[in-house]
Amino acid sequence: MRSTLPISIPSRFQPAASGSIIDFPAEASCFQVEALSLAYGGKPALQEISLRVPRHRVTAFIGPSGCGKSTLLRALNRLHDLNENVSHEGRILLEGQDIHAPEVAVDELRRRVGMVFQVPNPFPMSIYENVAFGLRLQGGLTRRRMDDIVEWALQAAALWDEVKDRLRASAWSLSGGQQQRLVIARSLAVRPEVLLLDEPASALDPISTLKIEELIRGLKSQLTLILVTHNMQQAARVSDYTAFLQEGELVEYAPTDILFTNPTLRRTENYITGRMA
Amino acid sequence: MIEPPHPFSPSRSRWRRQRDRLATGLIALGGIVVVLAVLAIGVFLVVEVLPALLGGQLDTQRVFASLTPMAWGTLKAALWAMLFSVPLALGAAIHSSMFMSQRLRSRMKPTLELMEALPGVVVGFIAGLVMAPWVERHLAGTLTLLLLLPLGVLLAGGVWRRLSPAWRRWFSLSRAGLWLVPWLALLVMAAFALSPWLERLLVDGDLRVWLDREMGIDYASRNAMIVGVAMGFAVIPSIYALAEDALSGVPGGLGEGAHALGATRWQTLWKVVLPAAAPGIFAAVMIGAGRAVGETMIVLMASGNTALMSLSPFEGMRSMAAGIVVELPEAVPGSEAYVMLMLAALLLFLFTFLVNTLAEVVRSRLRRRYRWLGVAP
Amino acid sequence: MSAWSELASQRLPRSEGPWAWLAAGSVALSLLMLGGLLLLIAVRGLGHFWPAGVVQLELEDGRALAGRVVRELPLEQGERERLYYTANRDLDGQVWHWLAVSDIVASERPRDLLVLERRFHGEFIGRLVEVGSVDFPDPTSTATADWNALQASLAELQALRSERDRLRREQLRPLIQQLDADPRDAQARRELAAVNERVRALQHAMQGKVAILESADGRRLVQPLDEILRAWRPNAMTTGEKLTAWARGVWRFLSEGPRDGNTAGGVWPAIFGTVLMVLLMSLLVAPFGVLAAVYLNEVAHQGRLTNLVRISVRNLAGVPSIVYGVFGLGVFVYGVGGSLDEWFFSDELPSPTFGTGGLLWASLTLALLTLPVVIVATEEGLARIPVQQREGALALGATRFETLTRVILPMTVPAMLTGVILAIARAAGEVAPLMLVGVAKLAPQVPVDAEFPFLHLERKFMHLGYHIYDTAFHGNDVQAALPLVYATALLLIGVILVLNLTAIFLRHYFRTRHGYVPRQ
Repeated sequence: MRSTLPISIPSRFQPAASGSIIDFPAEASCFQVEALSLAYGGKPALQEISLRVPRHRVTAFIGPSGCGKSTLLRALNRLHDLNENVSHEGRILLEGQDIHAPEVAVDELRRRVGMVFQVPNPFPMSIYENVAFGLRLQGGLTRRRMDDIVEWALQAAALWDEVKDRLRASAWSLSGGQQQRLVIARSLAVRPEVLLLDEPASALDPISTLKIEELIRGLKSQLTLILVTHNMQQAARVSDYTAFLQEGELVEYAPTDILFTNPTLRRTENYITGRMA
Repeated sequence: MIEPPHPFSPSRSRWRRQRDRLATGLIALGGIVVVLAVLAIGVFLVVEVLPALLGGQLDTQRVFASLTPMAWGTLKAALWAMLFSVPLALGAAIHSSMFMSQRLRSRMKPTLELMEALPGVVVGFIAGLVMAPWVERHLAGTLTLLLLLPLGVLLAGGVWRRLSPAWRRWFSLSRAGLWLVPWLALLVMAAFALSPWLERLLVDGDLRVWLDREMGIDYASRNAMIVGVAMGFAVIPSIYALAEDALSGVPGGLGEGAHALGATRWQTLWKVVLPAAAPGIFAAVMIGAGRAVGETMIVLMASGNTALMSLSPFEGMRSMAAGIVVELPEAVPGSEAYVMLMLAALLLFLFTFLVNTLAEVVRSRLRRRYRWLGVAP
Repeated sequence: MSAWSELASQRLPRSEGPWAWLAAGSVALSLLMLGGLLLLIAVRGLGHFWPAGVVQLELEDGRALAGRVVRELPLEQGERERLYYTANRDLDGQVWHWLAVSDIVASERPRDLLVLERRFHGEFIGRLVEVGSVDFPDPTSTATADWNALQASLAELQALRSERDRLRREQLRPLIQQLDADPRDAQARRELAAVNERVRALQHAMQGKVAILESADGRRLVQPLDEILRAWRPNAMTTGEKLTAWARGVWRFLSEGPRDGNTAGGVWPAIFGTVLMVLLMSLLVAPFGVLAAVYLNEVAHQGRLTNLVRISVRNLAGVPSIVYGVFGLGVFVYGVGGSLDEWFFSDELPSPTFGTGGLLWASLTLALLTLPVVIVATEEGLARIPVQQREGALALGATRFETLTRVILPMTVPAMLTGVILAIARAAGEVAPLMLVGVAKLAPQVPVDAEFPFLHLERKFMHLGYHIYDTAFHGNDVQAALPLVYATALLLIGVILVLNLTAIFLRHYFRTRHGYVPRQ
C-alpha cells in the first residue's frame, strides 16, 4: 500500500525554508534532512535540500551526473568529514537525532549507516575476514558467534552458497558481482539501520545487476535502503520512493510509481522521458 | 533467520575513540619530530657557521682564502663530469625514448638503475687505482678513443644503410644500443692497438713527453679527466632517468602530429619533442650537477687531492666534499679550519638543496603542462 | 607490394641521420662501461682465489727466481716486461720483480714448487727440503715423503690448535671467572694450574717442529711449522683440486679476519660491521620513516605548508651524504656524545666513550641520510591506495586509526619494504659519512661479544666500503692488496645488487598484483 498524498514540492519557487517539508504521513521517518546546503570549497553542491526518508523502504535518488545525488548520500553518514574543504548548513536527523551533534560519534554513526560504493572495494583479506572486519572492530565476540554472524551476513547477501567452501580464499579472487555482494554482506554484519548504496550496480554485468536488485528488494524488511542510481529503470524496478535532483536542488520527491508515471513538474518529466538538454 | 542486533558495548566504543585520538596525536607528534630532525641539518650548519663568521674572533679572510681552491676544485670536477655525462646520458635518453621498443626500454631502465646503485667507493677505486695508471700509460690511446668512438658509430650507421633490408631489420636502429656494444669494444681495442703508431707519427714517441716539452702541460696521474669520466659514469643514470621520463612523457599527440606532416623521428625530436621536454631535461641536468658536486669518494680517490686552481683536464684538484672528509676529523671544533669546513658543508647543502628545488619546481610545472597538452589516454 | 610502400620503407630509415646513430652509440657506450666495470671486478675479484701456477725462471745473468706472473707491459722498441710476484719477503726484502722478457732464458713449471701461506712475512715460494723437529733434522728423507710429512704435520698442528682453543674456551675461561668471583677457591686454583699446564704442553708440542725450505736460488730457511697456515703445490694440482682450493679460499675470505695490515686474510669483521650497522640503521629508519610518511599523508592538514615540507624532504634525498656526515659529527658525536660522556662516563675522560665516532652514531647518521628514501617510498605507497578502501573501512564504523592500521598500512607494506631495501642498498654503499662518524681501519673488537651489554654501541667498527678505500689507498703494499680490494668490491657490489634487485622485484610484483591504480 502506497500513500497517495498531495505532495508539496520545494523548488526554486517554493523554498524549503518556508517549512514545506516533503512528508509521507503513513511512513515512519528514518532520516530527516532539513534545509541542507553543502559546498565544496565555497562552490555550492547542494542547496536547501529538505526531505524525509521512510523507514524500511527503498528510496532512490536520481538525476543527471553532477546533480548532487551522491553528495547527498555521502552527507548521510558524514563521509564528507574526510574532506576539509566541505562546509554545510542545515540539519540531518537520524531517528530524531542530529548526526552532527557533538555527542554523536562519527564511527558509531557510520556503523549504523552502512555504505556500499560504486566500485566493489573488498579489503585485501580473505572472504571471512572481510565480513568479520566490522565485527572485530566492535570486539567482544566469541569465535563461534563470529562464525554465526558471518554466515548470516553472507546468507543475507545471497552469497553464502557460492563461497561457503572457500571462506579463507582472497576476496579479490571473487567476480565483480560477488565482490559487490560481499561488500553488502560486510556492511550487514555490523547490523546497520540504514544502508546507503552509491550506484552499486553500475560497474557490473546485467546478471549481477539483477542479483543485486533482488537483494535490495529483499533487504528492506530488515533495514532502510537509500539507492543512488543514474539508471531510471533500476530506480523504477527497485525503489518505493524516488527523489529527483538537479543542479544541487531537490526537484521532486514522490512515491516511485507516481514520479515515473505522473510527474508533477515539467523538469522531472523532461528528465525521465529523456528530453534533457 | 534474522539475528538479534549485536549488543555493541558503549564502553569499548568510548575506548576506541580515545585510542584513535591518542594514536593520531602520537603520530602527529612523532611525524613532526622526524620531519624536524631531517630538516634540522640546514639549521645546524647555519648555527655552526654564521656566529663564528660574524663573531669576529676568526680571520674571515683566511677562512675564505682556504675555501676558494676547494670550491674551485668542486666546480672543476663537476664541470668535467658534466662534460662527459650530459651528452652520453641525454643521447641515451633520446635513443631509448624515441627509438627503442617498449619492451627493450623496460629492461634498459632497471639496468641503468643498477648502475646508479654502484657505490662511489668502488667506482673511485677503479678510477684511482686501475684507470688512472692505465690512462697515464696509454694517454694517446685514450685520446684516440675520444675520436674513434663517434667516428666508429657513424661508420656503423653508414654501413647499415648499405645492408639488405633483411639484415637491416635484424640490426635495427631500435636495437642499436645493444648490437653496437661489441662493435664499440672492438673499437676500444683498435684504439689502443693504433695509438703507439699514431704517437710515433704525430708526436715522435711519447705523448706525455711531447705535452710537457711542446705545450708545457704537466700530466698528473690522477687528474680532472679521470675524475670527470668516473664521476660522469656515476651521474649518467640519474640524468638519464629524469631526462627519459621527460622525453617519453611528452604527449603522444604532439609527436604524431609532426610524423603526420612527414617529419622523420629525428626531426620530430628536434623540432617538437625536445622543445616540449626542455624544462625536464634542464631539471635532469641540474639534479646531475647536484650529485656531481656532492660526490665524495670518487673525487677523493681519483683526483690526487692537490689544491690547485687550474682548468686543465690533466691536473688534479681538491673538492670541498673530499676536503671535509679528510680534514674534519682532525679539526678542533671552533677553530678556523673547522669553521671553514662547516662553511663548505653549508655551501654544499645550499647548492644541492636549491638545485633540487629548482628542478622539482620545473618538473611539476612541466607535468602540469603535459596534462594540459595531453591527449586523453 | 606497391612500389610506393617499398619506396617508403627504403626512405624512412635512411633519413634518420648521424645524430640518431650517436644517440644509439651513447646507450651502447654506457652499457659497455657498466659491463666492463662489472666484468673487470668479477674476474679480478674471483680470480684472486684461484691457486695459479708458479713458474721457475732462469735469467741471463744466471739468477734464478720462482713466482707468479701478474701482468705484462710493453716497453719501448717493442720490448716487453713482466711483473712477477715472487713472495719471500724475509729473504729478498721485496715481493715484486719486474723482468724484461728478453732477459729470461728458461721458464718451467716444476711440480714440486711449493707455496706456503705464513703468519708472518707473507707467502713463501720455493721448495721443501725436509720436515723435522728443531733438534733432529732428518737428512735422509725424499721430497715426496717430506710433502706428505708436511701435510700430516700441518693437520696434526691444526688438531692441536683446536684442542688448545677448546681448552681455553671451555675450561680456562670459566675457571678464571670463578676465581674472579671467589679468589679463595683453592679447588679452582688447582684446576686452573692443571689446565694451564696442559695448554702450555700443547703450545710446546706445536712449536716443536720446523720445515727446512729452499728458495729457487738455493737459499735455505728454517720455518717453524706453527707459523704456516697453509701449504700447496699449485703445479701439481688437478683442476678439481684447484676448484676445491678456490672454494676454500672464497670461504676463508668471507669468514676470516684481515692479516698483514689488511693485505691478506679475509673481511669477516668488515662484513659483520657493515651488516650490523645497516641492521641498526634499518631498525631506526623503518619506524621513523613510516611514521613521518603516515603523518604527512594521513594526519597533517593537506595545505601549502605540508606540501612545502614534503618537497623539502624529497630534496633532502639529493643532499650529498658528506653533509649528513658533518651533521652526525657535529650533533651526534660532539653534541650528544660529548654530553653523554660528561654525565655518565666522566671517570673515563679525557678519553671519550660516546664522544667519538662509533656504531650508534654511524647508524643514526645513515638512518637520517636514508630517511627521505623511506618517507618518499611509503608516501607513494599510501597515495596509491584507492580511496574506496579508506571509505569502505570508515563506512563500517572504523575510526581513522583503525582504518590506518587494519587496511591502509597492511596494503602499504610492500611499498615500505621497497623503501627500506632501497635505504639499505644506499646505506651499504655509503662510505664518506662513516669516515666522520665511526668507521675504523682495523677494529680489534667486534661490536658484539659475550660481555655485558653484549652490543657495544660506542665501539668503532669495520666496514666493507671503507675497507676498500683504506686498503687501496693507505696500505703499505697496494699492489699486494689489490686482489683483495677487488674481491671486497665484488662482495660489496654483490650485496648491493641483490638488495636492489629485490626492491625492483618487490615493486614490480606488488604493482602488477593487486591491480593498484598507478598514480600519475
